[in-house]
Amino acid sequence: MGSSKKQTSVPVRTKVPSPEEVEKRNTVHINAETVTNVTSTDFPGFYPGEDHAWDIEKFRQSVRVQFHQNDPYEAQFSLIGVDASIANAFRRIMIADIPTLAIEDIFMWNNTSVIQDEVLGHRLGLIPFTGGKEGLHNFLKWYKKGETPCDYNTVELELKVKCENNENAPADSKDPKELYHNAHVYAKDIKFVPKGRQAKYFSGENAIRPTNPDILVAKMRPGQEIDLTMHMHKGVGSDHAKFSPVATASYRLMPTITILEPILGRDAEKFQKCFPEGVIGLEKVTKEEAKKKGSGYEGHEGELKAVVLDAMRDTVSRECLRHDEFKNKVKLGRRRDHFIYLVESTGQWESDAIFLESIAHLKEKAKRFEKMVVNMVQ
Amino acid sequence: MGKVTKFGDDGEEVTMKETPTSHQPEAHDDVSMADAGEEGEEGEEEFEEETSKVRLLPGSTPTAASFEFLEENHTLGNALRYVIMKNPDVEFCAYAIPHPSEAKMNVRIQTYEGTTAVEALRKGLRDIQDLCDVVSEKFLEARQEFTEKKAAASA
Amino acid sequence: MSSREQYQVPNAQGFTTGASNNDGNSGSSSIMWYTCGDCAVRVPLEKGAPIRCQKCGARVLYKERTKRMVQFEAR
Repeated sequence: MGSSKKQTSVPVRTKVPSPEEVEKRNTVHINAETVTNVTSTDFPGFYPGEDHAWDIEKFRQSVRVQFHQNDPYEAQFSLIGVDASIANAFRRIMIADIPTLAIEDIFMWNNTSVIQDEVLGHRLGLIPFTGGKEGLHNFLKWYKKGETPCDYNTVELELKVKCENNENAPADSKDPKELYHNAHVYAKDIKFVPKGRQAKYFSGENAIRPTNPDILVAKMRPGQEIDLTMHMHKGVGSDHAKFSPVATASYRLMPTITILEPILGRDAEKFQKCFPEGVIGLEKVTKEEAKKKGSGYEGHEGELKAVVLDAMRDTVSRECLRHDEFKNKVKLGRRRDHFIYLVESTGQWESDAIFLESIAHLKEKAKRFEKMVVNMVQ
Repeated sequence: MGKVTKFGDDGEEVTMKETPTSHQPEAHDDVSMADAGEEGEEGEEEFEEETSKVRLLPGSTPTAASFEFLEENHTLGNALRYVIMKNPDVEFCAYAIPHPSEAKMNVRIQTYEGTTAVEALRKGLRDIQDLCDVVSEKFLEARQEFTEKKAAASA
Repeated sequence: MSSREQYQVPNAQGFTTGASNNDGNSGSSSIMWYTCGDCAVRVPLEKGAPIRCQKCGARVLYKERTKRMVQFEAR
């Protein structure tokens, strides 16, 4: 577009940085007391003569995803080659903008338990529920305030429990769970009441039910009872944490450990203990290494040396930087564009689907605003 | 300067709608739920004309402008700032949230001659969409690969 | 202390209007039901009666919970 109108002297940007230089720029330095080189510099004009303009094809070639774990409710994967602002947008969207269904209104008919009405209400709201995905994501719509609750925007639940003496309890028992019926009220005691078309979407294994049936909601003693009806609505995490689809959605940067000078023998063992298990390994110095002049291994054949096995498992505690024997022998860092995500779902979405949904959400948002910007200038 | 702003007159209503419902709402003391009309009134929300949530702030020139985004935060702000900064025609781009208790986000764009701030903003929004497509594509590929590898390992 | 601020014993007219439309646990309009804090038995109390459980003699009595539905937001 409009290239003819552009500046007369378009700067030539053909310089390409060396791989070492790129790695240097992409490393956040973790020093004993400070963290340096934290800002990204991949912008046009930052390095004279280099081209850092946004290019979707270049991006397609440089961006990578690696999966480490993909369980329904817990996923771990690396997103490599994006800027922190983008990675953070996905994380923030996962936490605050993906809708889920949660208990919103509580109609308390009776509550003679010792837990106060509003506290009980709050506890109920925080219980995560699950159910048929099709019904949850497609059939159920937003509930607008003041609207009549209908089968497509409200899910009704019921909790009706009464604590009574257990006649068959062992005579010597002191356990309230044996002595009384319903001494403990659990999330599984909450019953789903299908309305209208909900029976079609939420029947059998698709029924609306607590993800974790054993959440303790209240404790009671004989004579006490809880009787209430609940309405669930769709909402987002930015309104209330109970609507967040994730328990945690976080990322950390890939740690790097560079051994600059050989760490040998007892030092190597000590070095290994500075890191979590599996990060540092011990290997024997080979004949070839010992022969090589200036390698630092001369005359150490057969001794143990420290090698980096799996930097990803490091917690970057920086313990190794506290010991003088490793001074100038090791450099810690993090890769600026390597994000290791951990997404733990609360059950309404599968973890990987939450991330996909966050991508779709960001795209949708950009699309909406593009339209508005076009309308704005008209 | 005297640019026409589309919202503003009903800008307040927009925020009201989104505010969390207050305690003990007037609402429905009637607990019964309607079993939905045969056709269902859902879907009508699609046709609602969306009120603009972005406006040009006064004091702008074609190549240097500030935009105000309503109900946006760091999520879009920082991502947008990044892609706009990646545009070589852009001299300066920054975003700010002027006050934490106002759901507003401002973006400042200054471009070189030959393009406009609005065009740079539009390109930024388009680039985000492209970026999302690529990330999504790569994510699905990696997931596929991972499931296949896992299936092969267990077989 | 000025006499205006002193505790006023409610007169008969004022009281009956308030208690006449209670939940009707008994025929008599001036009876209120309480729960004994000690033995959990339901205790009827008439106006002016000693605050005491008729069964066990405990002097701590609790008001009964409202029979109305109470609505809350789960927040």
